[in-house]
Amino acid sequence: MQTALQLIVTALQIGSIYILFSLGLTLIFGVMKIVNFAHGQFFTLSAMLVAVLVPWFSSQGFDGTWAYLASALVGVLASVVLGMLTYQFGFRFFQRDLTGSFILSTGLVLLLEGAFLHYFGGAVRTIPSVISGTVSLFGVNLTSQRLVLGIAAIAAAALMYWVLSVTRFGKAMRAVSIDHEAAMLQGIPYRHIAFYGFAVATFLGALAGALLAPISVISTVLGADYLIKGFIAVIIGGLGSVPGAIFGSLFIATIESVGGFYYDPSVANLAIFVLVMVVLLVKPNGLMGVK
Amino acid sequence: MLKQRHMFKLLAGAGLVTLATAMPVAAQEIIKLGLSIPLSGAGANWGKGSVFLCKQAAKEIAAEGGVKVGGKVYNYSCVAYDNKYNAAEGTKVAQALLNRDGIKFIGGSLGTAPVKALQSLSERQGVLHFTTAWGSSIKGPDFPLTFTIMNTPNEISYPLIQYIKEANPAVKTVALLNPNDASGQETEVIARKAWASAGVTVVSSDWFDRGTTEFQPIASKIAATKADAVDLGGTPPSDSGLVFKELQAIGWKGVKLVEVGTGAEGLIASGGAAGEDVYMGAAIVFDGPQVTEKQRKINDAGRAAIGESLNQIHIGFYDAVYALKAAMEQSQSVDPKVVAKALPSVKFNSFYGPSGFGGKGTYGSEQQILVPVIVTQIKGGKLTEVRRIEPAEMKSRK
Repeated sequence: MQTALQLIVTALQIGSIYILFSLGLTLIFGVMKIVNFAHGQFFTLSAMLVAVLVPWFSSQGFDGTWAYLASALVGVLASVVLGMLTYQFGFRFFQRDLTGSFILSTGLVLLLEGAFLHYFGGAVRTIPSVISGTVSLFGVNLTSQRLVLGIAAIAAAALMYWVLSVTRFGKAMRAVSIDHEAAMLQGIPYRHIAFYGFAVATFLGALAGALLAPISVISTVLGADYLIKGFIAVIIGGLGSVPGAIFGSLFIATIESVGGFYYDPSVANLAIFVLVMVVLLVKPNGLMGVK
Repeated sequence: MLKQRHMFKLLAGAGLVTLATAMPVAAQEIIKLGLSIPLSGAGANWGKGSVFLCKQAAKEIAAEGGVKVGGKVYNYSCVAYDNKYNAAEGTKVAQALLNRDGIKFIGGSLGTAPVKALQSLSERQGVLHFTTAWGSSIKGPDFPLTFTIMNTPNEISYPLIQYIKEANPAVKTVALLNPNDASGQETEVIARKAWASAGVTVVSSDWFDRGTTEFQPIASKIAATKADAVDLGGTPPSDSGLVFKELQAIGWKGVKLVEVGTGAEGLIASGGAAGEDVYMGAAIVFDGPQVTEKQRKINDAGRAAIGESLNQIHIGFYDAVYALKAAMEQSQSVDPKVVAKALPSVKFNSFYGPSGFGGKGTYGSEQQILVPVIVTQIKGGKLTEVRRIEPAEMKSRK
């Protein structure tokens, strides 16, 4: 029982970051019908800026928590600005063009990875614990930091789900993702929705990076691993499906948690890829995807 | 007519300038030393420090008058490419160094997987190859041009684990965790035997892919084994810190060891207080009476360059340059094969003092540098040397 609880808590905590990351990916596909491989770079930039700025803010007299919050704010804002620039000067011209957007985003990945390597260097970075201590949750021990960051990620995902379900903006985005021409006929400004949708998606990826920074080692290639898992989550759940992205993320996190415990991380990674192949064979549009 | 005369004067002048500047270059030739090292990812600081020390050694040798062979003076320059600690990039680096740049001496390489890729070319092309890679399968009579320039698990594991057992007699079981590549696989095989020889049972042996950032599941598994000790083998410092941090959060308490542990900074940066009491096999302490002024100065410069203290991996690249100089001057040749034949018999001043190459009993040929095994432990956030073991083969040659 104790082991099962440990694995569930681990899966929830890992999955919370995947949910934020994959929500951004599925939003972009849902609204613009493109896959954005550069999503991992927005995630990486945010995490990297947190890792760089926390020591700087600390040296300016900020205490641990405020240094982290200030760095996270800067990291997320910078990533969103980068996202906006890539949309305005790139993706805007390749909406609903899978091939063109694939080539563009692949090129962006190479460009941004090289730029990050040049400006941040290749060495990994870590930041000191923001919140120290451990807590016991249903008899399972985990660090207070992981608990707080996991709750923040889940809250952000829940808020995003609420926005998409209840607000005018959210409903407009869902309308565009179902049928953009019909949405335009209803007076929904497609270009605005695409722009703001891309901004929201980038924000989610950047927030995931900022929340991950205190509990991981940050390098310029961090986004690559999360991009693969984020895409798998979205493919399993169904491209363009928000509940699907959440389900897919938790599914992958559970495989990682259980597979890593009963076998090892290498076997868990292998299992994830095998399972996504099985899902695609049985349901090519994903478990909750729309045909 | 005037224009033609003017042009002729210009060309003649340019030719004279070229000749004049070319003459001093011919008196002092440059030998390029290729480096295949990680410059990104978890191993980046190992790579950056290695470049620093290769250049440091080259600078010192140039200041002392260079390498004198056959009436000419040679100096070294270090050419480094990022192998990203994997075979695919290691292959690209091998092609760049050997085929594109035409380099005949590999001043150092790091990571068994990329090193095997490099070695498949270097042995065939007659390129002398120094390496810090931990694989025992990369040297021997089948690879006469490959020389290892730091201690490997064969040299480190047995004395390190023996010391740990003496200092912690209650240790009866151990859990192993290694990167899932050639380095980790070779380390694991030797570690198993070393623990068995110390009377400790290996209760689990697990793997993770390099680049993994989430260690909570594997830490849960290791904690569930209730092992008395955890041996992280070839895991880099930042990853090791994360693993120990997760183990501490879960509540595991026991003896902690990283055989390739190279320093406190990287481990403490990611692991915090969980890094306390960790034993390491590839670190060096630069405080204390056994450290010379020169070693301290080099370490200070290295720390300024890479942000952390130098370690045994970095120092291998320094020693390789001096070993190469000694072998070139002894053989009076810059032919890599001739120099390689001379290497087993040279004595040179390594970073640690007088050194040479040996290991015939273990590897079948003398291709292993003979330097002390230094056991360290993190105490109060600082690295402390707890034991230094001189190789018996070097002692017998003194």
